[in-house]
Amino acid sequence: MKLTTTHYRAAAAVALLIFLWLTFFAVRETEFVLVTQFGKPVRTIAQAGLHLKWFFQTANYFDRRLRIYNPRPSEFLSRDKKNLVIESYVAWKIQDPKRFVETVGDPVAAEMRLHDIVWSGLAAVLGTHDLDSMVSTSPEKIQAQQVLDDLTASTDRAALTQYGIQVIDVRIKRLNLPEQNKQSVYARMRAERERIARQYRAEGEEQALRIRADADRQKEEILSVAYKEAEKTKGEGDAESTRIYSQAYSRNPRFYKLLRTLEAYKKIFDDKTTAILSSDSELLKIMMRGESGVQ
Amino acid sequence: MNRWTFRRILLALLGLWLLTSVYIVPADQQALETRFGMVVSPRVMPGIHFSLPWPIDRITKLKVQQLQRLVVGGDLSDGVLGRTQPLASQFLTGDQNIINMRVVVQYSVGLPADYLFQAQDVAKAVGAAVEAELARRISRRSVDAILTTEKAAIQEEVRAAAQKRINEYRTGVLISTVNIEAVTPPPEAADAFRDVASARADSARIVNEAQGYANDVIPKARGQAQQALEAAAAYKQRKTNEALGDAARFTQVAAEYERASAVNGRRLYLETMEQILPRIKKLIVDPSGNLDLTIIRKGSEPRNPQ
Repeated sequence: MKLTTTHYRAAAAVALLIFLWLTFFAVRETEFVLVTQFGKPVRTIAQAGLHLKWFFQTANYFDRRLRIYNPRPSEFLSRDKKNLVIESYVAWKIQDPKRFVETVGDPVAAEMRLHDIVWSGLAAVLGTHDLDSMVSTSPEKIQAQQVLDDLTASTDRAALTQYGIQVIDVRIKRLNLPEQNKQSVYARMRAERERIARQYRAEGEEQALRIRADADRQKEEILSVAYKEAEKTKGEGDAESTRIYSQAYSRNPRFYKLLRTLEAYKKIFDDKTTAILSSDSELLKIMMRGESGVQ
Repeated sequence: MNRWTFRRILLALLGLWLLTSVYIVPADQQALETRFGMVVSPRVMPGIHFSLPWPIDRITKLKVQQLQRLVVGGDLSDGVLGRTQPLASQFLTGDQNIINMRVVVQYSVGLPADYLFQAQDVAKAVGAAVEAELARRISRRSVDAILTTEKAAIQEEVRAAAQKRINEYRTGVLISTVNIEAVTPPPEAADAFRDVASARADSARIVNEAQGYANDVIPKARGQAQQALEAAAAYKQRKTNEALGDAARFTQVAAEYERASAVNGRRLYLETMEQILPRIKKLIVDPSGNLDLTIIRKGSEPRNPQ
């Protein structure tokens, strides 16, 4: 095969393409590029876009995006000797690719280092704090936020200088108790609930009794007041009738005496009564003596 | 293959290549344009647009309005399938009780550039932030508050705080809701919690019963009181009227009596005697003679003849 001009041109074009391919490279927003020359880092590119390098240099890409690392849940002992299982997460990203590649190399190794830093940080923090400062119903006791802010700052300092890693956040995702402690917690919860249930029932009973007693008192009060009023009214009636009678009768006491005595006789004498009448009496005089008995 | 055909193919390929510079963003989406990896248009609205052809410019489309759903705590599908992750849903309350929680987070894309380029796993970051804020809120409240009154407050606090946190992470996400779907005591103590609820109901019931008793007794007493008062008033009225009537009658009769007292007195006397004497036993004796009282005894005790 004979080499023609066309062949030369084609070869030159291919060579140019390869040269361009080795010279230009794109950096995406999600990446850092560390340019190395025969393995030796020469510069770091953080700006996305099209960039140039010598064809003998190599572009190494690093994901610069935020990563969430979840260390395994670990058990810690607080200052007041209480066990606590803490599940944390670390938000981190590569900040200095050169340092990163020199010290840890890859994200998995980085996360192992982070695990160690965070674990020892949490252990130190909990060793100097009571359980109350993490979990409590009184907000002034809780120092978790401050503690975690401090831990984030110290982890960030350590990770950045040592591994070129920026730690944005270290947070506690979950606080829990170790499995072996849970049974006693459940027992305590049950006891607490039973106490509360008893309290509710007793309070209900108390209130009900109070309502009933109050109702009974009101009833007695209403009835006795009514009795008082009623008796007063009846007395008024009796007084009024007595007044009327006495007024009427005192105008003619003799007639009253006669009338009333005769009325009384009607009631006093019944069929069991035996009257011994003198034949001389007013009633029988006429019967005995005839007309002369009239006088 | 002649030279012309070759040029036509080249032209056609060139045309196709140029076509890659035209793109359409649908109405429910937004797009982001990058040139050699660098963002040149962070937010391209719906419509037809032009860019430099592939591979210089690249277009990424995103459904920004679409709400994405994330479950923190026990997973929904796991619950449906009967598998539970007790640890994943357990939280420690401020009074050191354990409760199970399931929270559903809904979020949408706020800043497409951040959403696409700033975090490896946006959902994981959002979930972690929400979970941390949730755990923090729960660790400072009592179990009663969480189970009853504080739910809405926790939701809102977690939403606001988690939004602030993920803004620091630059995930470009807008959290629209944080919803506590389920908050339950652990199964090991559930019956005790239920008993508290029934105790509360019992308490309300006996209070209601007592109230019912009061509502029954007091009106009845009022009725009885009114009855007594009315009876007394009636008694007074009756006594007064009777007295008035008796007095009027007496006054009338007395007036007539006065007119001829001797005759009327005798008449009244005799009328009364007429009424009473027929009923009674009578012995008539002479005033001068002695009375043998044995006849009375005989008369009254006839069954004793000794």
